[in-house]
Amino acid sequence: MNIDLSILLHHTVCGGLAAAGFGVLFNVGFRRLPWCVASGALALAVRTVALGQDWSIEAASFAAALLLGAALRLFPAPGGVSRNALHVVGCIPMIPGGFAAKAILGLFAITRPHSVSTNEPLSTVIENTVRVMFTLCALGTGLAIPTLLLRVRRMK
Amino acid sequence: MVDPSETRGRESLEEIAVLALDFGRLLMEAGGSAGRVEQITSHVAFGLGAERVDLRVGYASLAVTIGIGPDAITRISKVGLLGVNQRLHHALCAAAARIERRTFTVGEAREEPDRIVRASPRHPDWVVALAVGVACAAFGRLLGADWTGVGPTFAAAALGQLVRRQLALQNVNVFISATVVGFLASTLCGLGSRWLGSHTVAMNMIATVLLLVPGVPLFNAQYDILEGHPTLGSARGVWAAMILLFATLGVWFALCLLGEGR
Repeated sequence: MNIDLSILLHHTVCGGLAAAGFGVLFNVGFRRLPWCVASGALALAVRTVALGQDWSIEAASFAAALLLGAALRLFPAPGGVSRNALHVVGCIPMIPGGFAAKAILGLFAITRPHSVSTNEPLSTVIENTVRVMFTLCALGTGLAIPTLLLRVRRMK
Repeated sequence: MVDPSETRGRESLEEIAVLALDFGRLLMEAGGSAGRVEQITSHVAFGLGAERVDLRVGYASLAVTIGIGPDAITRISKVGLLGVNQRLHHALCAAAARIERRTFTVGEAREEPDRIVRASPRHPDWVVALAVGVACAAFGRLLGADWTGVGPTFAAAALGQLVRRQLALQNVNVFISATVVGFLASTLCGLGSRWLGSHTVAMNMIATVLLLVPGVPLFNAQYDILEGHPTLGSARGVWAAMILLFATLGVWFALCLLGEGR
């Protein structure tokens, strides 16, 4: 494995902080915030390791969401906070908000008057839009698979 | 163990339907997915003595048909603005599980929704603002912003959250609010980043408005579609896309104003 440990630590800490911040925004109680930190840190650590193996951002996000979803299903849920809440706050740091903003800003740039060439911004817009769509699908599907599998087992 | 429905007449059906809808509506407004809303509404209705429950979960309304023996009743309820409140969400699920165990009469269960709402406090606004500031600064680092940009991102995002809360209290349209907060927060962040000499001004400005990204509706939209509610899922997806568009419009205005968009 070829992973810079300082980058892994940095991304893990930032993921945990972002998840905790959004946990407060979503009105998770203070005593449950460590669970939010843990879910965000786990998700970002897995994604960083996967990106270090030259995986695409979509595949890395899928792996992180799948592992987070499975971990939260396998271990007993902490009292006072739902598994779904931990799913969401854990994956929120991986939502490609930056790419989404760049995609929409790129659309504005295309329609700007006196634009010399529209080909380059258009290709960037398409790339960012596709990346946002695929990453969101990867996150949603990765989280849903463990839940849906468990439901099928219960129904049997 | 108590008999949950003291009377088996029309009044009982009406009360069960209204209570089940109250739980479903509150859960929707607290950020519950359609599958969860169906589950909770059914738990409440069956726990209070219903023998059949059919629910339709829409974006702006819920409709339920409750049946006991040969009698049935259909009621519809409007759903308010969809937000996220995990403490309320958890308390509603716990109460619905208690009602399902048939430990409540209809009369006792009637008090539950109001009691739960009163007993689910929110964090103070300043705490939420600080937390959002920390989250956006962390986001900025994950997106590649430099360390100099962390301070302006934190301060502008925290201020943006305070403004967003005030606009919500004044019932300002959420899309307009997204544009206003996006513009204000990214402008302040851009000015602060320039003053401190950050090399990633545009990235800092984008990170500042990530508090506006509707993460829960985006995830719920996918859950709803995967769980067989494509109409509701699509509606949530479109709403989330519109919020993103309006928030980015605010950032775009700010980038043009500061000359960072060129």
